[in-house]
This record gives sequence, C-alpha cells and structure tokens, in this order.
Amino acid sequence: MSYIAEGYNSFETKKTPSGIVKYLPDPKSVIALIQSGKLKEHILLVQGGTTTFLAPALSLGSIGVITMSGAPESHLGILSREFQMPCVMTAYLTGSESRYVTGGNNDAHFAAIIKALEGKKVQLHCEDRETGRVAVIA
Amino acid sequence: MSTYKDRYKSADDGLRFQDLVYQGNFRGMDPVPDGILGDKILRQRAKSKVLEKVSKEDVLRDQFTVDELNDLNNYLAWNIWDVLVMRATEGVSGMIPRQEYEILAFMHEFYRWPEILEMTTNEIGAQGVMNIGATARREIGTKVNCVHDWCIGAVGFGMGRCGLLALEAIQPQDYVRESNIILKFMQRILWGKRQDGYILNSQDRYRCRIHEKDILDQLTGQIEYFDPGSDTHDALVRFNAAAELLSFLDHYDCRLGLGDTGPYELPDGKIMIIRDLFTNEEVYDWSDVCDHENVPHCYSLCLVIDPDKMGLSEIRVNDISTTFTRPKNYIEHIIGGAVFVREKWDTPMGEVYPVKISELEKRLEGIQQATFKLYTKFARMSRRTLITNGLYVYYIDMILPHLRLAGTYDKACKDYEFWEIDQRISNYYYDIVKRGFAQATVPQKIFSGEGYLPFPDNVSLTRSKYFWK
Repeated sequence: MSYIAEGYNSFETKKTPSGIVKYLPDPKSVIALIQSGKLKEHILLVQGGTTTFLAPALSLGSIGVITMSGAPESHLGILSREFQMPCVMTAYLTGSESRYVTGGNNDAHFAAIIKALEGKKVQLHCEDRETGRVAVIA
Repeated sequence: MSTYKDRYKSADDGLRFQDLVYQGNFRGMDPVPDGILGDKILRQRAKSKVLEKVSKEDVLRDQFTVDELNDLNNYLAWNIWDVLVMRATEGVSGMIPRQEYEILAFMHEFYRWPEILEMTTNEIGAQGVMNIGATARREIGTKVNCVHDWCIGAVGFGMGRCGLLALEAIQPQDYVRESNIILKFMQRILWGKRQDGYILNSQDRYRCRIHEKDILDQLTGQIEYFDPGSDTHDALVRFNAAAELLSFLDHYDCRLGLGDTGPYELPDGKIMIIRDLFTNEEVYDWSDVCDHENVPHCYSLCLVIDPDKMGLSEIRVNDISTTFTRPKNYIEHIIGGAVFVREKWDTPMGEVYPVKISELEKRLEGIQQATFKLYTKFARMSRRTLITNGLYVYYIDMILPHLRLAGTYDKACKDYEFWEIDQRISNYYYDIVKRGFAQATVPQKIFSGEGYLPFPDNVSLTRSKYFWK
C-alpha cells in the first residue's frame, strides 16, 4: 500500500478508519459539520495540535484526525488517545520535501497538504509505535 | 510481560521518549536528554544540594542561596523542556490564542504573585504552607496537585522571568528577593505534599504516589472490574475522555483541569492511576454553562491498568499531572475503574460519592452538552476577550487552590486587587504580537533553555528592582 502522507502516531491502534478528508479552518466550520450530522463520514484535517478547536467533534465521536502540527504530547494527541480516535500528527506529504517548522511561516506547507488531501477518501493506519500513515483509497 | 519496574532501579537510566536534547545554560557541555537520565545529569551538575532530598528544616528556612536559586532555575528549565517541548510543536489553536495569553500570564505572575504569596506565607506561616501541600495526601478532586504546585515555580518564576528577560524588561540581577519568595512557596507546597524529601516527580523517576494507604483502600474498594473491550470498559473510557475534554476546555486548553497521581501498585500487581478532572471551575464566569448541565466541580477516576498485558516498559506521571506510557496506548489495557464526584471545590471529603459505571450515561450527556455550549460561547468571543480570559486562567487558577486553603483568596482580591491586570502587562499586550515575540521568540527561549539566564554569583539576595529604563 502506498501512503500519501504520514506523521507522528498519537497512539498505537489497529483501528483503520476511512472517510472523506474535510479541512476545518475555523470554529464555524466545526459547528457546521456537527450540525450537518455527517461528522462520522469524514477524516478531519486541521492545522493545529490543540484540542479545544475540535472539542465538539471529539466529544460527539469523530472517527479520525490528521493534524499539520503538534505531537502525541500535545493536548489533541492526549485527547485522541483518551478517545481512542486514530490521529496522525504533523502530517507531511510523502512525495514532498516540505516539513512543518515550529514557530516558522508554514502557510505554503499547509496549503500544499490541504490541496493534496481535501475531498479524497483516505484510510488511517496507526499500528506503528511512532509513525501514523494516510492512504488514499479512492 | 512488563519491564516498567526496571525503571525504578537506581542504575537504570530510563527510556528516551523523544530524540531531542536540551542545552540550556550548559554551553560547552554535553546536551541533556529527557527522562530519568536527564534528571541524573541535572543533579550531577548542580552546585548545591537543593535537588537532592532535603529536610523539613531546609524547607522551613526562608532563604535560598544563589547557588540554590540557580540550580532550581536550571532544573525547572530542563523539566519544562522535558514535559513540554514536543507539545510546543502544536502551533496555533484556531480557537483560543493560547501562546499570546500564556506569555502575558507568565510575566504577570512574576510581577504580581510575590507579594500575594508573601502575604499568604505571613498569614499562615511556612509550616502552614507545607500543611496545604499535605492536604493532597488525603483528598481527591483537589487542585493542590502536581500541575498547580509545579506552575508556581516553573511558570510564575521560570517562564515569567524568562519572558521578561526576553522582552528586555528585566536583567538577570533583578528581582532576586521576589524569585526567592515564589520558589520557597513552591518548595514548601511540594515538599509537604510528597514528604519524601523530593519536590518533583521527575526526581522520583516520574512517580507521584502521595495518597495515604487508608485513602487508597477507600478508593479501591469501589473499583469495578471488567474485560477490556467490554461495554463497561467502553463506557468508562468514553466518560473519561469526554470529562477530560471538558476539563481542558473549561481551562482554556490548558492542563490545569487535569490531575493524575500514581502509579500505585495494587496487591495483584496491577497499577492504578487516580485522575482528577475539573469539569466546572466556579471562579470562571463562562462555567455557567457547566452549572446549567449540573456538571460538578470534579470527577475523580481510578483507572486500573494491566501492565503485563500491555507490556509496559515505562510509565511517567509527569510534573504537569499527565500520564505517558510506553507503549503509548494504556487505554485498551484498563481492566477496572471507579468514578467519584466532588460537587464543589470545598465539598468535604466525607461527602465525595461514587457513581456506578452503568449510571454514567446521563452524566456523559451533561458533559457533552456543556462542551458544545462552552465551545459555542468561545466561538463568539473576540480575540481580546479570549486572551484576557486565558490570562486569568493561568494567573488566577495556578495559585487559587493554595489561596483558598490558606484563607487568603478574599484578602488577595480585596487588598491586593488580584483580578486586576497590571498596567505593564496591559502594555505588553501590544508588544508580544510584534516580530513573532509570542509565537516564535519566547517559545524558542523557553524550549531551548537559553532564556533562563542565571542570577550573577555575587548578587545580593535581597535585591529587587528599583531602576527602569
């Protein structure tokens, strides 16, 4: 299987959730997704590794998350483990040299990931101790 | 088969949880790793004995030496790096401007806490401060816990001074007297809590086994056992996660809402973590949504983990009250649990009551409702309001539990204007967003360790700051 992206694995799990990637840029988009009733159809793509931004989505049972920054020690990493919701963190595109830089200007890096993933049907693979992976399945 | 007990052998250096290393003030020396080995190296490099087990008389003494202040400064700087450097990669929230409120709060604490902590010490005495720490040994659902106690020194002194040095608002020789007040308060609370001579979990191979045996016996008597993956397991895990999430949210995405102690080894070889989740802090006006859903001040959970099934190789209950393990996923190896409720922060321990796991569903709904309402409320707030509220969460909450038990909270509010924001900090609000100060400069100073400049060797221990330029 080839993987389009990978990053830190929040925790080891045999769960392999799949869904359409939906990028959530702001709290309004999170609330809209909750209210649409389609939360569980999506793998959520977010910029930060903080937990409050995704709070209602986590609480109501989101199936998987990809972040573009953060680590298992980040609050979202901790909460994803507690919810047993697979989470690939600080994801980068396997076909690109671009990587997230803490405190740097990552706008182009984020834009490239969003462009590559949003709308694609993907599956998360998080069995490895350190690395979580994202596969395109359709 | 588990190997985690090997970590408790004196010759063992522990595992590495990360590839990064720490340099700090140790230029020209080998960098320091995380974990047990990092603690050993820091203690080897100390000039004083303050990082070893210290006596009650040492703690009651009012004054640290310069070497002791610098050893604590270096140790806290490494400890901060040890527990937070990977978290620091998390970037912006998209919801709460945490980096901005954090740096303002750090600096505000360094300016404002010393006189409030000194007043409190004067009111109840040094022994009284130690007694506050000791209360945590017989209570659950108390905010006199690792993260709050650690924050007094690590955040109020360490990061506060670091931020002000980075802003060039102060010099390394400034505020020695005030630094001593903060660090003495922290040392007395933590020593009184642990009572083994250490103050930090990292000095004890990341253990925080503070509860008295009769308290543990009362708690374990309520534990329900189940099979991993069973409906009961799932119900407890769902509840733990949802309550933890609300605790984070009510505390503006910071760890003041969470408090772990342990690991406590049970007679059958299993281990137990006691977790306080502060789901409704009454001091915050936004907690009204938690009131509306009848969410209590705190849910305390006992989580029993099977270390052998997990193949546990290391468990750290770190100094910000968070548990990390290797392998990482301890949740699926939870085989027993209990849930307790503390309705208000001052509910007597005798009135803390257990809730059966089968009866958690309605409480879970309340937590979920409160979470959504709180989120909706925050989503409508301006950036300025979010930063101000976040500042209060750090600056007020980190010493709130100690002032409450000392009986000095009302005095701090009335006579010391505890809830006012210092004019200097109000002015810094505009500085920290310039040139990436909050999002790049300060995190770099904090997490490289290069911002924790030592006090000069010959500095006067009574030196404050009287000259501004």
